[in-house]
Amino acid sequence: MLKWYKDAGQNNDVVISSRVRLARNLKNYPFSVKLTEKQAAELVEKVKAATEVIENQATMKFYGCSADVLGDTEKAAMVERHIISPLLVAKEQSTGLILSEDESISIMINEEDHLRIQSITGGMNIGKAFHEANKIDDITGEIFDYAFHEKYGYLTSCPTNVGTGLRASYMVFLPALTIAGKIIKLAEELGQYGIALRGTYGEASKSVGSLFQISNQKTLGSTEKEIMEALDRIVEQVMKQERRQREYILTNNYDEFEDKVHRSYGVLKYAKQISSGDAMTLLAQLKLGMDMNLIHLGDSYNIHELMMEIQPGNLQCQLDKNVGSMQRDKFRADYIRKKLPEHV
Amino acid sequence: MLCDKCKKNEAKIYYTEIINGEKTEQHLCEECAAEYTSFPMGTAFMDQEITLGSLLSTILGNYYNNNPHGAEPAEKEISCNGCGMTYSEFLRDGRFGCAKCYDSFRKILEKSIKNIQGSDTHTGKKPKGFESKTQKLVKELSELDKLSLRLQDAIEKEEFEEAAKLRDKIRELKKEEINNA
Repeated sequence: MLKWYKDAGQNNDVVISSRVRLARNLKNYPFSVKLTEKQAAELVEKVKAATEVIENQATMKFYGCSADVLGDTEKAAMVERHIISPLLVAKEQSTGLILSEDESISIMINEEDHLRIQSITGGMNIGKAFHEANKIDDITGEIFDYAFHEKYGYLTSCPTNVGTGLRASYMVFLPALTIAGKIIKLAEELGQYGIALRGTYGEASKSVGSLFQISNQKTLGSTEKEIMEALDRIVEQVMKQERRQREYILTNNYDEFEDKVHRSYGVLKYAKQISSGDAMTLLAQLKLGMDMNLIHLGDSYNIHELMMEIQPGNLQCQLDKNVGSMQRDKFRADYIRKKLPEHV
Repeated sequence: MLCDKCKKNEAKIYYTEIINGEKTEQHLCEECAAEYTSFPMGTAFMDQEITLGSLLSTILGNYYNNNPHGAEPAEKEISCNGCGMTYSEFLRDGRFGCAKCYDSFRKILEKSIKNIQGSDTHTGKKPKGFESKTQKLVKELSELDKLSLRLQDAIEKEEFEEAAKLRDKIRELKKEEINNA
């Protein structure tokens, strides 16, 4: 089965992926902070047992498991691929995961909320991501009795998620705005519209390879559709600004930039060891060069896939063993050299 | 010239640092310059992000402490009748203990939730089969009550034709009831 990230999708020069998360809680269990370990284990078992029903009704293949059966490397790799959150990994209580075969849909069990239903698609298509997550929510909503309040809507552990429980987010690639030093200003501007700009891995994380997340902050008072439409309007503006900035760079520093892109390709293609930070920076340069037609690696080449595969956790999963960072850097260089197509 | 830090990329930035009179000079590539120097290259703000938890507690706490009605003096702690969580416990990390907390703390929450969310009423998706209190009430009404309600509504809206029809229906139903009795 093809993983979701093999499909680059619309507007993929700026928008890498679209992701929707729905937070849901079961009526008959206390929320995470007041949940005893016994109740947590029971909750995980109960939700896990629903995998088959979800599978049948969604007509998709799903795997359900307790998080403790996953190895540390596997968990790290899943965080890097945005399937699970760092919080789920850090939690001492029982947690679980239901994951679709193509990895586009996941349900985290007993993260901050009892259920976190997530759906992700390539490119700019939040509507599709929501449609999928909503379908799963309809199914689980029939199986479990949700905590729903007449006035406040879906009740969540944290009041910042109450109401729709919806977080819609875009992973965006903003290298030109980063170079121009406009990210801080952009974050401030977006904040005024209730939209958050965060680092690559969410709250309080840094940006890697000029990748950022743009998402709605408010979850109460607007319908799901309204939230997503507002987000789309903002992201379209961001996209416009990023593209304009790219044109600006190209107009003013064409030679310098072309040189930079090809140098990045050269290092990636010939390096014998490379850290993930370095590789991400260079891959970002290369992606920008490809988007701007400065270098050609074939029309269908999707560099984002490589960006995910060379993260430490994913790389170790490929290696199938835990290795030190030096050896990992060598393996990463080998991996990139093999995977990166010749330029045409 | 290659960058002094990564020794891979071409150095494009000449960086001089003077700390306590001691001068160091470095030739850096743009990536390394962004990482090692204090040039605002765009991502530094992520580090300064205030953690949401503490910000949230401030918003929620402000209202709690300046309660205009004075109905809940600080010394008399309210707690949730579902899970026993106290409000100050909730303030500490901004997470509720159970679904009942929302009603237990409703008085305090009503305004602060508006501060956080800009609204206090859900308008989005509802679970299938969810009935609001009004819907439940309507369901429990007899056919006759429903018709009289609609009649009142029609009169208020000056839809007299509709009102006449409803009046006829009500009369019929009443007749039936008498006959059945």
